[in-house]
Amino acid sequence: MALVRIDGLHKHFGSNHVLKGINLKVERGEVVALIGRSGSGKSTLLRSINGLERFEDGLIEVDGERLHAGQTNLRDLRQKVGMVFQQFNLFPHLSAGQNVMLAPEVVKKLPKAECESIARAMLAKVGLAEKFDAYPDQLSGGQQQRVAIARALAMQPQVLLCDEITSALDPELVSEVLAVVKTLAAEGMTLVMVTHEMRFAREVGDTLVFMHEGRIHESGAPDTLFTRPRTPELANFIGSIH
Amino acid sequence: MTYAFDFASLLEYRDILLAGTLRTLALTAIGTFFGLALGVLGAASRAWQLAPWNRVFAVYVELIRNTPFLVQLFFIFFGLPSLGVSINEWQASILAMVINLGAYSTEIIRAGIEATPRGQIEAAESLAMTRRQIFLRVVLAPALRKVWPAICSQVVIVMLGSSVCSQIAAEELTFAANFIQSRNFRAFETYFVVTGMYFLLALAIRQLMLRAGDRLIGGRRT
Ligand SMILES: Nc1ncnc2c1ncn2[C@@H]1O[C@H](COP(=O)(O)OP(=O)(O)O)[C@@H](O)[C@H]1O
Ligand SMILES: [Mg+2]
Repeated sequence: MALVRIDGLHKHFGSNHVLKGINLKVERGEVVALIGRSGSGKSTLLRSINGLERFEDGLIEVDGERLHAGQTNLRDLRQKVGMVFQQFNLFPHLSAGQNVMLAPEVVKKLPKAECESIARAMLAKVGLAEKFDAYPDQLSGGQQQRVAIARALAMQPQVLLCDEITSALDPELVSEVLAVVKTLAAEGMTLVMVTHEMRFAREVGDTLVFMHEGRIHESGAPDTLFTRPRTPELANFIGSIH
Repeated sequence: MTYAFDFASLLEYRDILLAGTLRTLALTAIGTFFGLALGVLGAASRAWQLAPWNRVFAVYVELIRNTPFLVQLFFIFFGLPSLGVSINEWQASILAMVINLGAYSTEIIRAGIEATPRGQIEAAESLAMTRRQIFLRVVLAPALRKVWPAICSQVVIVMLGSSVCSQIAAEELTFAANFIQSRNFRAFETYFVVTGMYFLLALAIRQLMLRAGDRLIGGRRT
């Protein structure tokens, strides 16, 4: 059974129909790369999966945890879904280690010592073991984003959502973040990522999903889609970024 | 006509001045503690629109900010007993200061809370934190830090304002000054010294609070 199942998802912002019936299945361990023009609804779809956006119609299910339109209790779902944002969104008053420890401590209510060892392990995983006591403003963008990944991983999510996590980075810092994502993918983490790094999407993604005007316009194996796009919209999109 | 200054005549009243100073400080400390606590509650209610408290605090803030402190004090000290609530001059003074600082700090702290980047709250939400946890662990400390200088100024204003508590016979520093000059008839010297004392108290409180803020509010400046 699919780890993530999205059925007939509809979302409006006012009169703007942003998601027009999204159906998507993500298997455990699968890496899905979401691509598409700005405004096509990629972020909105991702944010719906952990309840940051409400939707009007449809169903989302993650590892047996169901989310209906208008549902307000999101805690169980959110514990299964991690998210990494374009703007890192670290907590500025907490050190890197404290950023990672916070949710295990207050949400899972684990003992502090255990939270700390989780945090150390997660920071080590993203290559920042020695930055435990550094504050966000002492870290480069790439390091901050890696802390944000560690923070999400500390909750042991079933699936990790990444929304253009390298778009706010200076070009020379992109690869260190992509390397972490690649490692996670190799370890079998289920990933849904919005990305403009097409080479990376092709290399790491198992499935490419092309969104266009609020619909999944085309999806399939990355190599196939890149070399033989079936729709003119995807062909156009691929042409426009090369 | 020449006036012979006689500051020495104040020396025999130094215990009264000291006691008045300590009471002013005590009033300020208690008023600050509970006033800021009230301000945090008010700010949270207003910023996050927690019904019905957001409405209650909105009315409260407007009432307090648009009326004189002396009248608020009289209302509490003379008004409440007519309703059968007995209250002494210290209780009335503290209550008035808490209520006054609570209103101003509600607005100050609210500005800090509203300056929290949306993304940080969403990050905390995506980690399955509850609203209360997000407020206490993610929003509050940086918000207080941002507005701490303004809070320090407001506390100084409240400390200086506590001089009107002498009007209901709370024996704080201004009361001591009034008492002393009625005894030694040295109004200039007495008020000169007491003015200096308020000035020094204000400087000291501001410095102390700024430093305490750096230490106590956790983490670093942002
Ligand atoms: N908070 C919002 N309020 C109103 N409209 C929004 C909001 N967020 C996104 N939109 C609109 O929804 C559409 C899809 O946006 P988004 O999901 O961010 O697209 P993408 O991530 O693919 O660029 C756009 O038309 C955008 O203007
Ligand atoms: Mg987007």
